[in-house]
Amino acid sequence: MAEIRTKVLIVDDEKGLRLGTQRLLQSEGYLVSIAENGTEGIRLGTEEEFDLAVIDLKMPDYDGLEVLNKIRQIHPNTVCFIATAFASYDTAIEATRLGAFSYIPKPFTPEEFLYQIEQGVKHRKVILESARLLKEREENLLELAQEKSKLNIIIKSIEDGVLIINNSGQIVYFNNSVLKNLDMDELAIGDDASEVLPAKISEIISKYFVSFETVNKSFSTQIEIKSDNELFIEVNCSPVPQTDGSFSGVVVIIRNITETKKIELIKNQFVSMVAHELKTPVAAVQGFLTIILDKNISTSRDQEIDFLSRSSVRLKGLLDLVNDLLDISRIEMKTKQRELVNLNIPETINSTLVFLQLEIEKKKLIVNCEFEDNLPVFKADLNELTRVFTNILSNAIKYNTDGGYIKIKTSMTGNYLCTSISDSGIGMTEKDVNNLFQEFFRAKNEFTRGISGTGLGLTIVKRIVESYHGKVEVESEYKKGTIFTIKLPITLK
Amino acid sequence: MALIAIIDDDPDIIEASSLVLKSNGHEVITASNPDDGFKVVTEKNPDLIILDVMMDEPDDGFFLAQKIRKEKIETPILMYTSVSKTLGFEYGAGEMVPVNEFVEKPISPDELIQKVNSLLEKK
Repeated sequence: MAEIRTKVLIVDDEKGLRLGTQRLLQSEGYLVSIAENGTEGIRLGTEEEFDLAVIDLKMPDYDGLEVLNKIRQIHPNTVCFIATAFASYDTAIEATRLGAFSYIPKPFTPEEFLYQIEQGVKHRKVILESARLLKEREENLLELAQEKSKLNIIIKSIEDGVLIINNSGQIVYFNNSVLKNLDMDELAIGDDASEVLPAKISEIISKYFVSFETVNKSFSTQIEIKSDNELFIEVNCSPVPQTDGSFSGVVVIIRNITETKKIELIKNQFVSMVAHELKTPVAAVQGFLTIILDKNISTSRDQEIDFLSRSSVRLKGLLDLVNDLLDISRIEMKTKQRELVNLNIPETINSTLVFLQLEIEKKKLIVNCEFEDNLPVFKADLNELTRVFTNILSNAIKYNTDGGYIKIKTSMTGNYLCTSISDSGIGMTEKDVNNLFQEFFRAKNEFTRGISGTGLGLTIVKRIVESYHGKVEVESEYKKGTIFTIKLPITLK
Repeated sequence: MALIAIIDDDPDIIEASSLVLKSNGHEVITASNPDDGFKVVTEKNPDLIILDVMMDEPDDGFFLAQKIRKEKIETPILMYTSVSKTLGFEYGAGEMVPVNEFVEKPISPDELIQKVNSLLEKK
C-alpha cells in the first residue's frame, strides 16, 4: 500500500459530507476524487478504475443505484458502497443485487466509515487476486489446449505411422498412416496388438513383455507388406517409460520405404552387371596367363604371343570400361566441372571427325556433311559434346560395312538444333533398338562378333544430352543402317 | 580321353579352356551361343558339357541346361559362373539349375581338370 495508494471516489451532493470524508481519507493516505452529483460520478467512475467508490443514494439528477450500476458495468471489480440516510430494507436488497459491497447508513462516525472502507480495501484485494488467478488459469488452459491440438495435428499429418501400445499389450493410439503403411482396413483402440499387427511386429513387441532387460532398447525391422516390391516398410519400436522409469508401453513408428528399396534393387542390379563386365576380361587374361605359366601345358612361342596380344586387347577394353564408368559416375554425381561456352555444332563435329580420320580411312568410308547456314550457337561444355559426337560417330564407323557411308546433317527444326547421323551399317532389330540405351547392352548377332565396346557409350550419350534437356532419337533397319538424331533445345528470340 | 563341349560366348575363355583340356588328352568341341550349343550337344553327344551362365542374357546358361535336360540328355554339366558368389548368390544344383558342378571364373587349370575328371569318373 506504500507505493500504490488506494484510489477512492466519493459521489455525494452534500458538500460538507463530501469534503469531510475526503479530508478523513486523505489523512489516512488514500487518494481521493470527488463528484458532486450522479452525472459527474458516472463520468469519473467509468473513465478510470477506482478501487473503491462511496455513492450517495439520493441525488437530484441520478439515483445512487443507477450510478453504481453504470460504474460496475465498466469496472466490475470496483468495490462500491451505498451511503444513505433513508435506509430501507428494499433499497438494501436492490443495492446488493446490483453488486454493492456494503451499505453505510448516515450519519456515520469517522471510525465507522474508516472501518467500512478498510473492509472494502480487503475485499478489493481478494477480488483482484482471484481475477488474476482466473486469468492465469484461463491462459494456461488455452495454451494447453493449443499445445494438445498442435501435437495431435502434427502426429495425424506425418507420413510415418505412429502406434502406441500400453503395458497390457493393447493398442491405445494410432494415426491414419498406420493403416496405410500396413495396408490394413480396420484397427481399433483396445485391440490386442499381438493379434492384429503383422507377426514380425508382434514378435518385437513381445520382447518388451518377456524380459525387463530389453526394456530400454529400440528394435527395427523391415517388412515386405505387399510382394514384388509394392509395399515395403521399416518398423521401429521403442519403449515408453513412465515418470519413475518403469515400462508403460511401446511406441511403434511405421515408415514406408518402398521407394528406397526400389532404388536399392536398381543399384544392386547395376553393381552386379558392372562386376560381371569387369570380371569377364580379367578372367580371360588370367586364363591365358596361367596357361603360359603352367609347366604341364606345352605352348609354342607363337601361341604365347597370340595369347599375350589377345590379353592386351582385353585389358585395353577393361580400361575403356573403367573410364566409361568413371564418366558415368561423374555425370551422376554432377562433380564434373562444366565449362559452358558458345559452341558451333558443325565445328565441333568437324574436329571430332579429324580424330576419327584413321578409323574412317581403314574402312574406306565416305563421310558427307550437310550443315544449314546461320545455325545458332549452343551453350555447352566442349568436352561433353565432343564425347557425344565421338561415341555416335565411332559406332557409325565400327558397325558400318567396308566402303559404306556416313551422312551428317545439322539443321534447326522448331526449337531444336537437330543433328542426324546416318550410316549404311549393319543396323539393328526392333528388339535391339528397345534395349539400346540400357547399361552394358550390346547387340549380338553374326555381324557384331569381333567388334569391341563397353556397352556404355550410348548410356553416356543419353545422359549428357538429357542433362542439357535435349533428346536422343534412333531409327534403325536391320542390315540397312541406323540414324541417330541429337536434338538440343535452343531458346528462340 | 573324352569328348567335351565348351559353350561360352567369350572366345578367349573357349581358347584357354580348350588348351587346358586338350593338354590332358581330351577332345574339345565348342559353341559360342546357346543355339549352337544345343546343336553341338544333340549332334555330337559329348561326354561332358561345360556351360557358361551368362551369354546373351544373364540366365542363358540356365535355360540351356534346362532345355538339354528336357530332351532327356543326362550328360554331366559343369557350369562356369562369374560374379554369382561375390554377390552372395550361391547356386545349388537342383531342378531349376540342372547341372552337376560349378566352377568360378577365372578358372585355374588344376581345378578345371580335377572337376572334369571327377565328373567323368562318376559317369
